[in-house]
Amino acid sequence: MTAGRSGTVGRPGLVLEVDRSTPPTMFWHGDGFRMERLPVGSRVVYPPEPAVPLSDPTAAIREALENPLGDSKPLSALLRAGMRLTIAFDDVSLPLPPMQAPDVRQQVIEAVLDEAARAGVDDVVLVAALALHRRLTEAELRHVLGDRIYDAFAPTGRLTQHDAEDHDNLIHLGQTDRGEDVELNKRAATSDLLVYVNINLVSMDGGHKSVATGLASYRSLRHHHNTHTMVHSRSFMDPASSELHSSNWRMGRLIRDAGVKIFQIETTLDGRSFPDAYGFLNRREWEWKARDRATFLGAKTALDRLPPRLAQTMMQRTRSPYRLTSVQAGEVEAVHDRTIDVVLNQQRVVVEGQADILTMGLTYLGPYNVNSIMNPVLVACLGLGYFFNSYIGKPLVRQGGVVIMSHPTPWAFDPVHHPSYIDFFERVLTETTDPAEMEAKFEESFATDPWYIHLYRTGNAYHGVHPFYMWYWTAHALDHLGAVIVVGGERRAVRRLGFRSASTMQDALEIASDVVGRDPTLTHLHTPPLLMADVR
Amino acid sequence: MRSRLVRAALSKVPAGFPWTAPTWPTSLPRPAARGGLGAAYDTTWARTPVARAVRAALLEAVGRPVSSLVASPEVRGLDRLGELEAPAIFVANHSSHLDTLLVLSVLPPRFRHASIVAAGADYFFDRGWKAVVSAGLLGAIPMERQRVNRQSSEMAAERLAEGWNLIIFPEGGRSPDGWAQPFRAGAAHLWIQSGVPVVPIHISGTRAILPKGTVRVRRAPTVVTFGAPVRARGGEDARRFAVRVEQAVAQLADESATDWWSARLRASADSTPPLQGPEGSGWRRSWALPANDGRSRSDSKRWPGV
Amino acid sequence: MKALVVERSLPRFAAARLRSTLGMGPGGAVSPVRLADVDAPRPPGPGWHLVRTILSGICGSDLATVEGRSSRWFEPIVSFPFVPGHEVVGHVDSDPSDRVVLEAVLSCASRGIDPPCAACASGRVGNCESISLGALSPGLQTGFCCDTGGGWAGALVAHESQLHRVPDELSDTEAVLAEPVACGVHAALAAPEAEAATVAVVGAGTVGLAVTAALHRFVRPASLVVSARHTHQQKLAVHLGADVTVGSEGTVAAVRRVTRTMTVGGRLTGGADVVYDCVGSAQSLHESLAVVRPRGTIVLAGMPSPARVDLTPLWQREVKLAGAYAYGLEDRTRGARSGDGRPGGVGSGDGGSGDGRRSSFDMAFELVAAAGLGRLVSASYPLDRHEEALAHASSAGRRGAVKIVFEPGARRTPPSGRQSRSAQSRAREA
Repeated sequence: MTAGRSGTVGRPGLVLEVDRSTPPTMFWHGDGFRMERLPVGSRVVYPPEPAVPLSDPTAAIREALENPLGDSKPLSALLRAGMRLTIAFDDVSLPLPPMQAPDVRQQVIEAVLDEAARAGVDDVVLVAALALHRRLTEAELRHVLGDRIYDAFAPTGRLTQHDAEDHDNLIHLGQTDRGEDVELNKRAATSDLLVYVNINLVSMDGGHKSVATGLASYRSLRHHHNTHTMVHSRSFMDPASSELHSSNWRMGRLIRDAGVKIFQIETTLDGRSFPDAYGFLNRREWEWKARDRATFLGAKTALDRLPPRLAQTMMQRTRSPYRLTSVQAGEVEAVHDRTIDVVLNQQRVVVEGQADILTMGLTYLGPYNVNSIMNPVLVACLGLGYFFNSYIGKPLVRQGGVVIMSHPTPWAFDPVHHPSYIDFFERVLTETTDPAEMEAKFEESFATDPWYIHLYRTGNAYHGVHPFYMWYWTAHALDHLGAVIVVGGERRAVRRLGFRSASTMQDALEIASDVVGRDPTLTHLHTPPLLMADVR
Repeated sequence: MRSRLVRAALSKVPAGFPWTAPTWPTSLPRPAARGGLGAAYDTTWARTPVARAVRAALLEAVGRPVSSLVASPEVRGLDRLGELEAPAIFVANHSSHLDTLLVLSVLPPRFRHASIVAAGADYFFDRGWKAVVSAGLLGAIPMERQRVNRQSSEMAAERLAEGWNLIIFPEGGRSPDGWAQPFRAGAAHLWIQSGVPVVPIHISGTRAILPKGTVRVRRAPTVVTFGAPVRARGGEDARRFAVRVEQAVAQLADESATDWWSARLRASADSTPPLQGPEGSGWRRSWALPANDGRSRSDSKRWPGV
Repeated sequence: MKALVVERSLPRFAAARLRSTLGMGPGGAVSPVRLADVDAPRPPGPGWHLVRTILSGICGSDLATVEGRSSRWFEPIVSFPFVPGHEVVGHVDSDPSDRVVLEAVLSCASRGIDPPCAACASGRVGNCESISLGALSPGLQTGFCCDTGGGWAGALVAHESQLHRVPDELSDTEAVLAEPVACGVHAALAAPEAEAATVAVVGAGTVGLAVTAALHRFVRPASLVVSARHTHQQKLAVHLGADVTVGSEGTVAAVRRVTRTMTVGGRLTGGADVVYDCVGSAQSLHESLAVVRPRGTIVLAGMPSPARVDLTPLWQREVKLAGAYAYGLEDRTRGARSGDGRPGGVGSGDGGSGDGRRSSFDMAFELVAAAGLGRLVSASYPLDRHEEALAHASSAGRRGAVKIVFEPGARRTPPSGRQSRSAQSRAREA
């Protein structure tokens, strides 16, 4: 199946109890960092160190294609002359940060195309599985696929991006037993073979979600991208307890039963999220060497002094030195079972018990602002959506507890990528921050607004309904928490989000004491690099 | 007023981590060697001919004049070494950083420039620059002293096998109060294993010059007494051998404090004053210290009588 | 009698213009307005009354005058030296128990022209064709005419056709808003197509807020978007009936959202049916043109200053641009109160015409009371602190204020402008 020691974990994650000898803890703070001294007795959850990558990724990919998992023939046996082949791939929201060239998708798709060429397949179309995300720019497509693929397919229109509003190119496959519509990209669903190439950065990705979400329409997505599903996904990162997962699996089985033949290729990366130049980001504070301290101080000073725009550009240029730790191909569910094992094995950290307060430093980057601005809605989504849900079992913070997030939360939006976010912020959040209420009152009008649809289809804009999804992503956290505090954020923006604002961590802890009492327990999530807390 | 201003200005300067090195959380075990430092430090470079020549030149041109100026050593018992050939292990009591330089200065020339010094890996080799200074100027090799560690002991044995002489202070650190600490069995283990003769040495007076915990050097006379080489008996275990070497040094101490004959008498009556001083604690131990062992370093004492 | 007087002095106007261009605000040693001791004006003929001023507002057009920014258009229709102030509540000297507000336009009736011009004959006094003719010196309104005096003085003279008795339930601070609110009512009713349509109001100073309130009460658009630069203006706009308020940079996006149209190059492909420009600057007119739909209407409610505007969109999209000045008898009186308690005028300027039309002032009294517009008066100043008062009015938005008024009767110089409501009017209410 896979060559080499796939997913062999480096030093495991760590739960450190802060004592008087513990140096201050680094917090991400958007395009910068903060150093905070956490109260003695606090616990800091550190991610495992990067796993050992595959020594020969190219060989591993070819081996995976020829030795598929589950009920599937090898790729070469599935390809024949005269067939219609569609290759779908994850968009620019993965991985984070974008990886140094060559991208894993390029490596995998080149291997697939080699096989297709050998079999004499002429009708090949590539499709970026955008769902309702923004279209990729040419530069981004070239980065993801490499110049060879781009130059071979883009000029003839055979490199496409999924369009969830192109009703001529959608096909309704039916409804699941729960009445969920399944409407997919027609080219992909009617091909003789659909190859899906994924990057499984977190445990929410991949499996049936790749096709059932990535190539679906709004009509189909709204069945699981809604408040109800998100409140019942505890967490959406834990496949076993995720309603989001269950819904996608129901749809995936319907797709399979409808006769869509999918050959799924999933990859995992080693967790080396930041280049050596930012070595301190991959290291625990007390192990920082003089060089780490110097680069930290240099980077922090520069980022603090630079105009926000420049600081943002500087950070957005970061390319991660990710390397492949495993690749598996074949039947969707068998492949994904293996993938999830590897991901959890690489990211799991066992944490004993819940805390009253969960603190987290939020980065400059989330899945939805690659090469863009992290607007306040995305800040909320990253903290209360992604980081809060990075758990198996029960949340890191108790019911009614407090989350303290550190992020500058500037009142800034990217008008090209996030036009509907601006209106969401001005029109919806001024009226309500309750996910269910906004879903009932506003979602429809944003989802069908012709201007947003136009920008989504022809520009590089997220779909009009996307900011709602971001807010639904926080629904479980909002439902669970007693208060949310943002440290160092722009006050007006933080208030608009319905959160409380504090200028320092000490102030935030004071504010939190109103909710959780004067002697709370505290857990800090020292991420990224990513981790999954297994809370017992 | 001004000092307050200065202090106010200084308080604005960012201090602490990450400007300074991080402290280590107490709950986590600290790895012994980081990045080839500590016991893992490779000292090979310090034994190359060039390094040896530089070291020898420095010792003759700077080290020995300084040591004779500061410590004016009186050397006794060198004749006991007789025809002893390298390699040998020189074992001494330890109360000052000066001991190393002093021993190197008074060793007979055939040993002097072919000796290496066992130095605490956690103290002399914990930082890159300290390791370079220790290995380069003293010819030190790292010795693990906190825990049992085969590595440093084996490395020392290899050096002895190569013909190097080894200077070692088996107390595992400088004396905190002027009295010796028990000799470590770990060091004796090395002596037995290498089969090299052990030369006991007693040093007195260096505590008056530079005791532990100070940085200021004062002049004072010293006495270095060499004893006859000792070898482990067949079947003798490390612990016993350590005690026997310690007794040999104690007898030398007795000899340097009184005279050879009365020391021999007490030795044969098994009543040599213990090197580790009397039982008990506090003032009684310091009260019992020999007069020249730096009980008082007050300047008034040194004022010439008028 | 103390009065603030504006004289024809080119250097003073030039200096004021320079100050305002440099952003220094009105005032200074060479301001065109100065505090002087003058004789109270004499009634020029029968039917004229001496009115003792209680409160007199500072209007945008007054500020334009003292800052030397007003259009040269006004030159032939004003006469120097004049006392500014056309938003006036006062006592008629002969009957101190009665409070009146001034309908400031000096039309045929006050000028002794008989028969009146066609506009006056039909009740549209704002459109009077005789404003520089007749027995009086030229002057489009009281406050721009050398014969009548103005509100920024202890007293002025007014023709009985100009006077409206203040309903007892209104306080002085509410009454002083009757004139600007009447303008707002008139402007709101200037575009009949606003009913049940999408309407945008650009700017939320006194005029913008009055238009907003009037639209909400008398016109009832389907949705009402108000663009206001300052947050207190946005809050007031919401209270007065705006459905959506936005900061000035968000106007285009907000109108787009409400009308669900497209945007091309920063302007809408469709847009609002009616846009009320309540600022009158090149910027606001540009913004209005960007958000109005093809064949829509822009109503200029704020007094415009000389401005360069690209009228290409007006032509290409067949947009109607309509002015709205002053007041008169309104044709469309939807939401009007029934006749009982109708405030009667001292002279001929009574509440209605008998043919179902209502005077703008009558509707303004109703609106001021119903919408609680008295809160728009933010501070009052005595005349001798006129520099402070004008500076406050000039930066009202930034300083969280809306309408600044003079209180010529206040003799003492209090430490600061009294906020919100004068002590006198509070005493009257008690």
